[in-house]
Amino acid sequence: MSIILIGVNHKTAPVEVRERLAFDDATCAAGLRNLVDGQVVREGLIVSTCNRVEILSATANDEIDLGAGRVTQFLDTSGNLPPGFLKDHLYRHTDEEAVRHLFRVASSLDSMVVGEPQVLGQVRHAYSLAVEAGTAGRILNRLVHHTFRVAKRVRNETGIAASAVSISYMAVELGKKIFHSLKGSTVMLIGAGEMAELSAKHLVNAGASRVLIANRTEAAARHLANEIGAATTVPFDQLDEHLHEADLVICSTGAPDYVLTEAHVRKAIRRRRKRPFCLIDISVPRNIDPSAGKVPNVFLFDIDDLEHVISSNIREREREAERAELIVQSEVMQFQQTLRLMDIGPSIGALREKFQDVARAEFAKQRKRLGPLTKEQEAAVESLLMSTVNKISHPLLNQMRRFSGASNADAASAQNDQFDLEE
Amino acid sequence: MAVGWVLHTGVLIDDWAVDGHYPLFGLRETLSFLAWALVAGYAIVLYHYRAQAVGAFAMPLVSILTFVALLTSQDPTATAAAFSTTWLFPIHTTLLVFAYAAFFIVFMASVMYLVQERELKLKTFSAFFHRLPSLSTVNEIATHSAAIGLTLLTLGLVAGMFWSWSLHGKMWRNDPKEIFAVLTWALYFGLAMYRSTANWRGRRAAWLGVLGFVLVLCTFLAAPLFGSYHVFGLALM
Repeated sequence: MSIILIGVNHKTAPVEVRERLAFDDATCAAGLRNLVDGQVVREGLIVSTCNRVEILSATANDEIDLGAGRVTQFLDTSGNLPPGFLKDHLYRHTDEEAVRHLFRVASSLDSMVVGEPQVLGQVRHAYSLAVEAGTAGRILNRLVHHTFRVAKRVRNETGIAASAVSISYMAVELGKKIFHSLKGSTVMLIGAGEMAELSAKHLVNAGASRVLIANRTEAAARHLANEIGAATTVPFDQLDEHLHEADLVICSTGAPDYVLTEAHVRKAIRRRRKRPFCLIDISVPRNIDPSAGKVPNVFLFDIDDLEHVISSNIREREREAERAELIVQSEVMQFQQTLRLMDIGPSIGALREKFQDVARAEFAKQRKRLGPLTKEQEAAVESLLMSTVNKISHPLLNQMRRFSGASNADAASAQNDQFDLEE
Repeated sequence: MAVGWVLHTGVLIDDWAVDGHYPLFGLRETLSFLAWALVAGYAIVLYHYRAQAVGAFAMPLVSILTFVALLTSQDPTATAAAFSTTWLFPIHTTLLVFAYAAFFIVFMASVMYLVQERELKLKTFSAFFHRLPSLSTVNEIATHSAAIGLTLLTLGLVAGMFWSWSLHGKMWRNDPKEIFAVLTWALYFGLAMYRSTANWRGRRAAWLGVLGFVLVLCTFLAAPLFGSYHVFGLALM
């Protein structure tokens, strides 16, 4: 069996093309049933996200071109595009290259922001749709499960997703670095801007249980509180009274001067009994007096600090991505072995059966000459024949298995559970 | 690591059974026992805080200790008899070795705290930064380990005093090691008090944790450096 991957992504096709090809859950299921005919395209799966539409399919070894043609045609019709229109946008990978591509996509190495965590969930969803539609078979099941394992390895063994690369997410990262977990923590937003809202949502997702919002115009604060959910508003002139309740403060007002002075912060940290305090000031001009950052246990970041950290995080991710590529490389090789084994497996089984059939046929031919036998005797003769045949063919079959590259434990166990060749 | 520790435990027990004395006697056994106690301490930290990064500090030390222990050869049976007269001696040494291990963990956590605090204040994060446990985690590790270490140290010193008293009729002999031990005790006592009077003590407490460990080292090495009679069993009594 061969694996084919055909599709477009943000690097090869503009959004006008990608949006025409995109599938939702319903069209995806229908499309899969349409695409997988069981003859040429044996198995299929569609990954459709805002950055990519990719079709993964399995065909017989000698029908790669036929299968690829069918997939391309399928994309043309489902996108309602004239034939040949996609020629410059589509990429086509087969076998090893297709496996590598899928591993890289799921590990977020092919993403616009390398290391972003959503894509794995999207691949998982694509797989569950294919399972529901009944178009994920022996090959794709194995491949997709292997893919999940690779993505997990990359995530755990490299720092590809360890650091934040957006301002709104930096608050979560800093919070975690200081407080370990944001569960049960309190966040204060000073100013009700868009960036504050986005950060607050990330923080609530990460476990923050309380959000206080202080804004000069109360109505905007209330509106934002409704948007976020678990939020209460604080009158702007009572800001000082509530400051110490917050573990993390995000400041983004349009005020021309300092909203929080060093004195405010000192007072708050005293009231917090020295518990650390994280202040993030994303306003320009700055709203928190920079000298507040010198107070012990206070960690103050302004917009430039965040930008600086983010750009170093991006460089860090790129370095880690190189390590991730090595993991992908070794996993691709492992999967190729598994695949070869899956190809050779059935022929080993068939061969063994063939040998046994010959023995049974010979037994049937000579049966008369043995005269009457009891049931036990008959069974004994048959088992004698079978064990002789098996013992003789065993080295040969083993040889075949070895040639197919069954050297790793995973492949060996795959072969045992699937073909029951364990003796 | 777990396998190594179990084997090490086995060897220690075997040693005890074969030599007939508690396996904490002389430099070689002390180092080996200390390595064993450190791994045990690290396992507890790992279990409670999932702070693998601690291993980056602890494991090299464990390797060095084990290696030095291997290189140090001696014949402890000659002097063992003098010490095996009372059960107070092994209690004294065991408690102190565990206290040393706890203080080493305080030291590691304090260093991690200081490194990260500095990077947070300067807003430049090194690659290592992302792998270290959070500030609150290392702060907690330091606080708890210091409390545990202080308790063990107190008990160990008291046991040592009683042992000395039962042997020589004196609790205190103005030995450099004893002086350092009391200084160490005072410092960690101060640290524990300091930490308990606020929610969070941060940098100063972390510096105390580092300083305390310097004192621990002085105490540990008191014999070779300052000529103490506490010479890991090769007693000059």
